Amino acid sequence: MTERDEIDVLAGEYVLGTLDAGERATAQAQRRRDPALEAAIVAWEERLASLADRVPPVAVPEDLLAKIEAKLPRADRPQQIVALERRAQRWRRLAIATSALAACLLLAFGVRELSRPHIPTSYVAVFQKDDASPAFLLTVDLVTRVLSVRPVAAEPPAGKSYQLWIASEKSGGAPQSLGLIEANQASTQRALAEFDRGTVERATFGISLEPAGGSPTGRPTGPAFHAKLIKTSR
Amino acid sequence: MGARGEVPNARMTALGLLRPAASTAATIVVLLHRVAAQDREAFAALYTATSAKLYGIILRISRRRDIADEVLQEVYVQIWERAAYYDAAKGSPITWMVAIARNRALDEARRKQAVSIEDTPEVLGIADAEELPLDRVEKSQQLQRLGRCLDALDSDRREVVLLAYREGMSREALGQRFSRPPATIKSWLRRSLLQLRDCLGQ
Repeated sequence: MTERDEIDVLAGEYVLGTLDAGERATAQAQRRRDPALEAAIVAWEERLASLADRVPPVAVPEDLLAKIEAKLPRADRPQQIVALERRAQRWRRLAIATSALAACLLLAFGVRELSRPHIPTSYVAVFQKDDASPAFLLTVDLVTRVLSVRPVAAEPPAGKSYQLWIASEKSGGAPQSLGLIEANQASTQRALAEFDRGTVERATFGISLEPAGGSPTGRPTGPAFHAKLIKTSR
Repeated sequence: MGARGEVPNARMTALGLLRPAASTAATIVVLLHRVAAQDREAFAALYTATSAKLYGIILRISRRRDIADEVLQEVYVQIWERAAYYDAAKGSPITWMVAIARNRALDEARRKQAVSIEDTPEVLGIADAEELPLDRVEKSQQLQRLGRCLDALDSDRREVVLLAYREGMSREALGQRFSRPPATIKSWLRRSLLQLRDCLGQ
């Protein structure tokens, strides 16, 4: 037998299920390292798939869905601040861990701000569509009127930049650019001195994916996230 | 529906899926994408559309309802966790889900070699029911092709392949069934697999 035959027979027996427990475990470990074996397994799954069609469906016990749902990991990101546009497909495979990271950062900020009881009014917004898309954490100190954005697992694709926007009463609700989010920096700061406190509190912030150097039109052109601020201290 | 937009919302999709005829592969792909975005409503719809099929497959292999119930739960948790890795360009979503279900059931079956067919009256009582309408036309073409290639095998060897795939029988169990040592079953499988591969033209 050729090497290809060996791989196809191993993959075929794996898919049929005739390997014993030890051989199965070995094949499972090997498929993760060996793309040829992985491809051969997927090919057998496809070749033999129609055999599964002849297996009659069987009614499932009614309580199983509830049991399964109870086992699903809960996404513990704060729901009310994630209000976002449809995500771009190409971001899908990025860091699954962003949600947890964003939640940790949010918690860290919250705790830090709460531990300074006499300095009033810091705000935070989280920009994230779902667990597999880039995330940004935006904080605003309304006393100093300084805004800070931290990307979390949000490297822009090559040739692209993330741009920050504010839509407020001041501009009649139209987005105004607050500049680019600097790549390779832990955070980007912006002064919001021209906006009064109430305007900032009620504003909507946006982050859009733009050509390198920023939107050519002065308005967001790419896929965008939006979020409003929530208080982390009073 | 046109006046309300072309993309059905999750609830409408979920209701549509209560009718099995709506369970096309394309619908399943859409649901898997939503599940990848942690949409629980889409997950429930996906479960409604596919669980009886996967449960039937698992029960054939696991042979006991208590085991099949556990395996089905683990399978859907895995589907929830791995939905983002499903790639529609690489194959049918049903095949992807069936592979997860069979693998999990087979892992369990190989770990618990002791279960024998005699212990399992509930499986033997199941008659062949009608096929699910999942992409029936395309699938039946595949089945015809595979059927022609299986027919080209000697009848014992064809039976070995079918019993392994559908019932999850081990080499030892197949050896007992056909009164041959497991090593003979293994060499039958080798030759049958290579012949099938070449017959199917891949």
